[in-house]
This record gives sequence, C-alpha cells and structure tokens, in this order.
Amino acid sequence: MNVVKKADSDFWKLPVSKVDKSGNPEPRAAPLFSPQRLPVRPQLQWGHRYPEPPLRRCGRSRHGDGHRITDMAKSIQLKEEGNRRFQAGDYAQAEALYSQAIIADPTNPALYTNRAMARLKLSQWDSAIADCSECLRLSPNSMKAHYILSQAHLALRAHDDAVHHALRAHALCIGDDANNNAAKTSNQNSLATITAHVLRCKKERWDHLEKRRVRETSELEAEVLELLARERERAVRDAEENGLGEAGRKEVEEEWDAKAERLREVFERARPKEEKKRRVPDWAIDDISFCVMVDPVVVSSTTKTGKSYERASIVEHLRRHPHDPLTREPLYISELRPNLDLKQACDEFLEENGWAADW
Amino acid sequence: MSAPFAAKRLGKELQKISNSLPPGIELVSADNFEEWLLDIRVLDDNPLYRNEIYRLRFRFSSTYPIEPPEVVFVKLPDRPIPIHPHIYSNGIICLDLLGHQGWSPVQNVESVCMSLQSMLTGNSKNERPPGDEEFVRGNRLRPRDIEFYYHDNDV
Repeated sequence: MNVVKKADSDFWKLPVSKVDKSGNPEPRAAPLFSPQRLPVRPQLQWGHRYPEPPLRRCGRSRHGDGHRITDMAKSIQLKEEGNRRFQAGDYAQAEALYSQAIIADPTNPALYTNRAMARLKLSQWDSAIADCSECLRLSPNSMKAHYILSQAHLALRAHDDAVHHALRAHALCIGDDANNNAAKTSNQNSLATITAHVLRCKKERWDHLEKRRVRETSELEAEVLELLARERERAVRDAEENGLGEAGRKEVEEEWDAKAERLREVFERARPKEEKKRRVPDWAIDDISFCVMVDPVVVSSTTKTGKSYERASIVEHLRRHPHDPLTREPLYISELRPNLDLKQACDEFLEENGWAADW
Repeated sequence: MSAPFAAKRLGKELQKISNSLPPGIELVSADNFEEWLLDIRVLDDNPLYRNEIYRLRFRFSSTYPIEPPEVVFVKLPDRPIPIHPHIYSNGIICLDLLGHQGWSPVQNVESVCMSLQSMLTGNSKNERPPGDEEFVRGNRLRPRDIEFYYHDNDV
C-alpha cells in the first residue's frame, strides 16, 4: 500500500499538480532555478502550511519580505514540479527538484519529508534520515517524518530505531496532536498502513535477534565440541603414556566420544521446537484483521461487549457502519478506549514470538 | 484499506479451514483470494434437503472483511439450488447477514456457511420467495447491489 498516493492533506501527500489544469505543460526547459522573478500565483496560500515567520532564512532572502515571498513561491513551484516527477516515478529528478526547493526555502518541513521519500525510493537511507531529522527539528510532530525514518532505519537494520519511530508515527496517527484537525484526519487515513508497518518492524527485529541467537548458540556448540575434542586427545595421550594398552586407550576414547554425543543432544534439545511454539493465543488476535494487535481498543461502555479490536480495523469498520460488530448496537469511534493491559500483553507476546507478526 | 489486507485475512482463514471445518461443510476450492467454493449439507433429517449437497460460491472484494463477501448457491448437475423462501431459484440468497447493513467484519467464511446451514435446517416451507420467477427472469444486478427488504427476522 502506498501511503503517499492515498492521503489528502497537502502536508502529507505529494500532491498531483494544482498548476496546469489547462493542459499546458510547465515550461520545463526554462531555467527553473533562474534568479528572475517567477509570478506569484494568487491562489497560492503558502502561509497556513507552516509556522510563520520562519526563524531561519536562506541567504538571498535577507533583503526584505518581498524577496522572501518570491523565494517561497518559487520553492512551492519547485516542490510541485518535484511531486509530478515523483508521481511519474522519476525519483532522481524529483530529489533534485526538492533540493532546489529547499535552497529557495529551507524552512518548510514538508520539503524535507518529500525529499526523504524520494531518497527512500533511491535507497539513499542515510540522507533520507538526515532529511527526516531536519524536518523533525522544524516540526517535531511530523508523522510522516517518523514513518520515513522508521523505514530507513529498517532498511539499515537498526531495528530498535525502526520500532521506536514506527510507534511514534502510530501515536501521532491516532491523534496526539488533537489540536491540528486537518493533520489528524489525513493521519487517520494512514492508520492501517502504519499499524502494518509497526508489525513488520517488530517481526524483522525478532527475526534479526533470533538469527543472532541461533548463530551464537551454534558457535558456542562448535567451540565446546572443539574443547572436548582437544581434551579427548590429551586423555588418549595420557592413557598411552601410562601404558594402558590398546584396550585402555579404546575405553578412554569411547568415554570422550559419549561425552561429545551427550553434549550434542543437549544442544539439540535446547533448539526451539517450531511446531510447539507456533501458536498465537486467541486473546492476542484481532477478530477483524486476524493479526496480532498492536493497539487494541476496547468497546467499553457499561452496555457494550467489552471486546477488544485492533484500532485500525475497528475504525475502518465504524466509519462505514457505526455499530458494534458483535451486538449491532450503535457504536461510535469516540466510544473506543485503549486497552492498555491487553496492549502490554500483546507487546510481550510479540517480543517472545516475533514470528507471529506475520502469522 | 487495500487488497493486501483482504489477502492476509483470507490467507489466515484458509489456513484455519483447511485444517478443520464443522461437519457438513467442505472446502471445494480456494485457488485465489477472489473466489472460493464450498459444499454444505444439512445434518438433520429435514425432508426438504435430505441426501442433497449444495455448492456455495464466495466472492471477495479487496475490502473484505469490512464489506461482506458475495455468496450465492451455484447450480450444477449434482448440486441443486436448495428450496427455501429466502433463496431464489438462481441461487441468490436473501439473508441480512450478507447485506451491507447486516454484515459484521467478525463474521467469516466458516460462520457464513454455518448460518446458511442452520437457515436450511430450520426451514419447513417448500417454497421459493414471492416473485421468484419474475426476479430470476429480470434480475441483472449482482447480489450486493440488490436492495433486499428483510421482512421477517426469524428465519
């Protein structure tokens, strides 16, 4: 699922062109970055998109607000051109245009997340992370920045960071920033995507740890077996030196071979029994998506069922049909409450059984 | 919500029903996440349905299970359409559970089959819905687009 294509607030999506509905292509050959004044389109409302006034200004903006507005308009124009390139799949060109937009106006957080998206597509993880950090410096509650950060960290196998930022994005999605309604609505559209992403991060972290654990265990096994083999050689040598003869030597050898065999058995027993482990308890599963819950919410007023669901699933259902899935009584999104104990239980279960994240 | 969501959930349902299904319900085919076929039969001695097996076709959209699956009986040489006052002779089923209003995302393929099973078991009327002939002749709509009026709730 591509979040970028779905959302509807300007900050979040990479908007399709608002400029040339007339069908006239933008003068692409013209120097996009030329110093000449670009016309300020009257319908541009740059002011409400990010806090005013920005604290930092780019070098050429010092001469007064007239110039600054020009720079911002140019920046937005570059950004929109970048968005078009991005939509067309030309990520390198989009990245370059966003860079030019940032030079024209380094204070717009959306430019950094847009460029970070392009850099994600180009597998430039480190510079995507740098962009997100800059965006978060300008706008600490950017859900999109946290989401992109999480993806970049995941690609770099920094699993703890990936989970951390995925959870931050999730928290922002469900409206920690309740005072920003526009952002909240568009963030909610991404809830299902972010929820799936959280699960994916947890799964990959678990896979990684599990692999390491298996590797370390087998390294230990090899090491101990080698020690045993050396010890066996010494014992055999001792037996020969003490003149125990062929029979005595054989006895010693058998004794040590048996030890090595027992050791192998012990390690074998310690290996997880897949079939025994791979069961997800019903309480951890959301009855709508059939996935392990990341953010269980409970239907909890006195007359309701007390049943919990994954927030993303139940919200999706209630938006279309505001009634309880089990009883069909009226039920509204505002009546959902986080089920903190169940959330902790699910977290702990996933911690131990990461494979269950894509069970 | 897009297709991966539905596919994931259907994958899990399939995993579950491949292992075990209640008596009288059998999975016939589930080659993809768009269309599944199941056979059902009633378990008691209801003379209307004795010794018959019925074929059900489930069709899933990418919004399943938020939206209901489309479920109809399919007619084959050895699979008739069961006689029931809520089942048209072309296999279309009038059951609120399968409509947009009555559907709930906690329902699943297995629970739908069981509901249909008990809908048959509980019936003693050897008749089609009123206006069956006319409906079967005239209807070009897909089941999900038909506005049924659910007039009685005890079937």
